[in-house]
Amino acid sequence: MKNLVIIPAYNEEAALPRTIASLQGLPQGFELLVVNDGSRDKTGEVAQQLAGTSRLPLHVIHLPVNCGIGVAVQTGYLFAATRRGYTFAIQFDADGQHDASYILALLAACEKHQLDLCVGSRFLTPKSAGFRSTFARRLGIRFFAWLISLLSGDRVTDPTSGLRCAGPRAWASFACHYPEDYPEPESLFWCARNGLRIGETPVCMHERQGGISSIHRWGIAYYMLKVSLSIVLDRLRAREQTAP
Amino acid sequence: MNAELLMLVGGSAAFVLTLYWVRSRELHEKYAVVWMTLASLLLLCGCFPQAIMSFAETAHVSYPSMVLFIALAAIYSFSFTVSVSLTHQHQRNIRLTQETAMLEYRIRQLEMALAGQSSAAGKPQTRRK
Repeated sequence: MKNLVIIPAYNEEAALPRTIASLQGLPQGFELLVVNDGSRDKTGEVAQQLAGTSRLPLHVIHLPVNCGIGVAVQTGYLFAATRRGYTFAIQFDADGQHDASYILALLAACEKHQLDLCVGSRFLTPKSAGFRSTFARRLGIRFFAWLISLLSGDRVTDPTSGLRCAGPRAWASFACHYPEDYPEPESLFWCARNGLRIGETPVCMHERQGGISSIHRWGIAYYMLKVSLSIVLDRLRAREQTAP
Repeated sequence: MNAELLMLVGGSAAFVLTLYWVRSRELHEKYAVVWMTLASLLLLCGCFPQAIMSFAETAHVSYPSMVLFIALAAIYSFSFTVSVSLTHQHQRNIRLTQETAMLEYRIRQLEMALAGQSSAAGKPQTRRK
């Protein structure tokens, strides 16, 4: 069984080597894919160098221009669809926030509960464990969790988490259609609304080791409004065809 | 100059401009159709001002307000159409960017494989700049 770890990276030259090193402990059968999202620093060169020394197969795709996190992640799903043979596609941040040891737990949860999408949740662990984001962001996360739970009927606690494992039905659908900006809550709701099985598993996260967040201070209001609107509008759509 | 004459001049100018841009291949025919419809509407309003007047009376608004309303409705419709076109264009650009990136990846892999074969066969390697 082959699995692909998709690592979207934008200006992550500082954090990327440590992130790739942390993934080297994964067993055989895992492949890594760095999607360099038109970085202006040396992320692409660093990724190429790491590909030469990585124990696990490491692929590097360079998007010629910066397209945003959603497009970068979708490129990973497209890559998986084009090359075939992958079972699970795991999204993993390049900035060092995620702990590679939880990837196997996400996979196990997908297999055990027959999930199409399993999200690593910071809020299922004891409060003292790991980094849970700032107070303002936690409020936003709670709001989206409430909104998605209300509109889908599935209970979620961490809809903005970028540590997630998608099964074949989910990632094949994402390869065709994936939200561009702030994709995590929207894609989670899309799965729930279209009959894909979603779930969560507890994870601990760290503070980012480098780079900058895609949601800047002044963009938070836009983020809240845009994602809420997208979720509500998505609820109004007819059920869509998912990949078999 | 009265409002009717202004509409006649505006309509004629819109017609000429549209034809000029289509002729020089700077404007696609499918958009030209929309702009020429607008120019025709302006010309009709200039030729038959009673139409707007009766429309304004029916709606219980003044003549200038009705002209403004029609102009704003036209601007809104076209701006909206442009937004939809832009969305389609954006989606195409994104997919092209992704396909380009994946093709570049495949070319890089092929070049590496070829370089490996060349060195295994003892041939001199050619190196791309």
